[in-house]
Amino acid sequence: MNTANPAFQDLDRRHVRAHARPARLAPAWRWPRALRVHGRGIAALALLLVLMFPFLWLVQLAFRPSADIFSDDLLFTPTLASFASLLQGNFPRSFGNSLLVSTLSTVLSLAIGVPAAYALTRWSFRARRQVALWILVTRMAPPIAFTIPFFLAWRWLGLQDTVLGLAIVYLTFNLAIVIWLMQTFFEAVPPALEEAAYIDGCGVWQAFWRVTLPLAAPGLAATAVLCFIFAWNDFFYALILTRTEAITAPVAIVNFLQYEGWEWSRIAAAGTLVMFPVVVFTLLVRKWLVHGLTAGGLKD
Amino acid sequence: MPFAFPRAAGWQAQRRRAFLAGLAPSLLVLLAITLVPAAALLVASLTPLSLTNPAGTFHFRDPLGNYLHLLEDTRFLASVGTQLKLSASSVVLQVGLGLGIALLLHGPSRLLAATRAAFLIPMVLPPIVVALIWKIMYTPDVSPLHRAAEALGLPVSSLIANPDTALGAITVADTWQWFPFTMLMVLAALQMVPESPLEAARLDGANRWQLFRFIVLPHLRPVLVVCALFRLIDSFKAFPLIYVLTNGGPGSITEVTNYYGFIEAFNFSFWGYASAIAVVILTGVFALSWLVTRREWNTNEHR
Repeated sequence: MNTANPAFQDLDRRHVRAHARPARLAPAWRWPRALRVHGRGIAALALLLVLMFPFLWLVQLAFRPSADIFSDDLLFTPTLASFASLLQGNFPRSFGNSLLVSTLSTVLSLAIGVPAAYALTRWSFRARRQVALWILVTRMAPPIAFTIPFFLAWRWLGLQDTVLGLAIVYLTFNLAIVIWLMQTFFEAVPPALEEAAYIDGCGVWQAFWRVTLPLAAPGLAATAVLCFIFAWNDFFYALILTRTEAITAPVAIVNFLQYEGWEWSRIAAAGTLVMFPVVVFTLLVRKWLVHGLTAGGLKD
Repeated sequence: MPFAFPRAAGWQAQRRRAFLAGLAPSLLVLLAITLVPAAALLVASLTPLSLTNPAGTFHFRDPLGNYLHLLEDTRFLASVGTQLKLSASSVVLQVGLGLGIALLLHGPSRLLAATRAAFLIPMVLPPIVVALIWKIMYTPDVSPLHRAAEALGLPVSSLIANPDTALGAITVADTWQWFPFTMLMVLAALQMVPESPLEAARLDGANRWQLFRFIVLPHLRPVLVVCALFRLIDSFKAFPLIYVLTNGGPGSITEVTNYYGFIEAFNFSFWGYASAIAVVILTGVFALSWLVTRREWNTNEHR
């Protein structure tokens, strides 16, 4: 019996199950074959459609002509007019700010956090556990605890309403993510490879740069994407620490809601633009993302 | 180190120095951006610091004044109650829904694998977009749900403007946003459920419910507990949904503790008092985090 092949295993199991069940009378009629084989898949698709309905509604609103937003008719000619009208206002600037602050925060947290993650992986010192724990707990801390001190300090230091100030604040969560995630990726690299590099005369960081980091590159990319998404998605810090100059796209959306009346198609277009990079990234790096979103929660 | 090296002691010291150099910047930055603000918050919570009272900065005549005031502040106490209601209901709902969907999606089929990715969308969306999506769903003139109800002859007034339903409406939106987290964790755990006890039980004639109840569920229990704790901790941070959907209203029906702290700090500029509120939240979060780490369910804790 070929037990190594999961397909065969599956067949076996079905076989066993068929015999184990008490014999039943054949029903007078049967479900169509497609429904029997794909029943669960079809149920999942139907559920997906129901659950994602609010999300899809937002997207279709963005493409709807603005005269037409109060209708339920799904047969409309899609238009990019709402997106075009967004280009005229301040929205492109806030979008640019979001890109800038997310990139800056990602680069900063990788530059500072990656060496630390490596040191924590390969160096067992006495306080290692406590340090790792402290780093995890910073991820859990509620933003309000940090915003009050940062708000007062940034006013005093002149960092309020600047991209740099916001990028530094984002380190409070992104640094912890980098250190925590990169440890799992560095653990997967066999230390023997580094030892070979040491024997060839490399120093610790030279071996890291030439051997370990290239091998952990997919993990590094995934971590970078996650940092970017977390910074991009932030609303609370940006709302409090920016006013006009460094305003980010999520705050700009709320300003639309509050000050520009109820121009639903424009608001929906802005929302669609803001979520677009995140949804694309999610579909691109889904496998690695799972690591990050469940960081600290799963034993792997 | 498992390998021998001439001048091994010198090499070890060199290696330690190198690692320390790699670790130090992170520790210093974390110290500066987490421990220092936390200490500043604690100090500020002992003073009457506010916009109108800048002289109150280093004024420690009544250090526990803010905390004593919290105990009499009915708005604060109500906000704690609202927080507990919102957290409990949304955590229970999202863990239940996540578990159910994970069980539905667990399987070898290609179709199921494809839908699994799409179910993740609510969790990765920017929270402000989630809030926007539900603002549209809950605003009568633009919401397809309200229009459908009207077409059926059952017009419903806005759920977020009604004191009886506002908190429920936020719970629904929060559950929608976060069920994928439990779903992801449970899907990962389901792959680790051993096959042989299932086989044995099937041979003994166990039905699907019995298989789930007596074999699968015990395996999932630790993951479900971790999911609930993680989501409970995160639920104290709930902000964008409340800010966009109800603004804490109607009245202060949906005002959770985090939101009340935000109002005290950034609408009224009572920074000392708001710091005390933040310290209370922080203490709660730390207590729950301690529970999480005590369960030894984290990566890297095995050495």
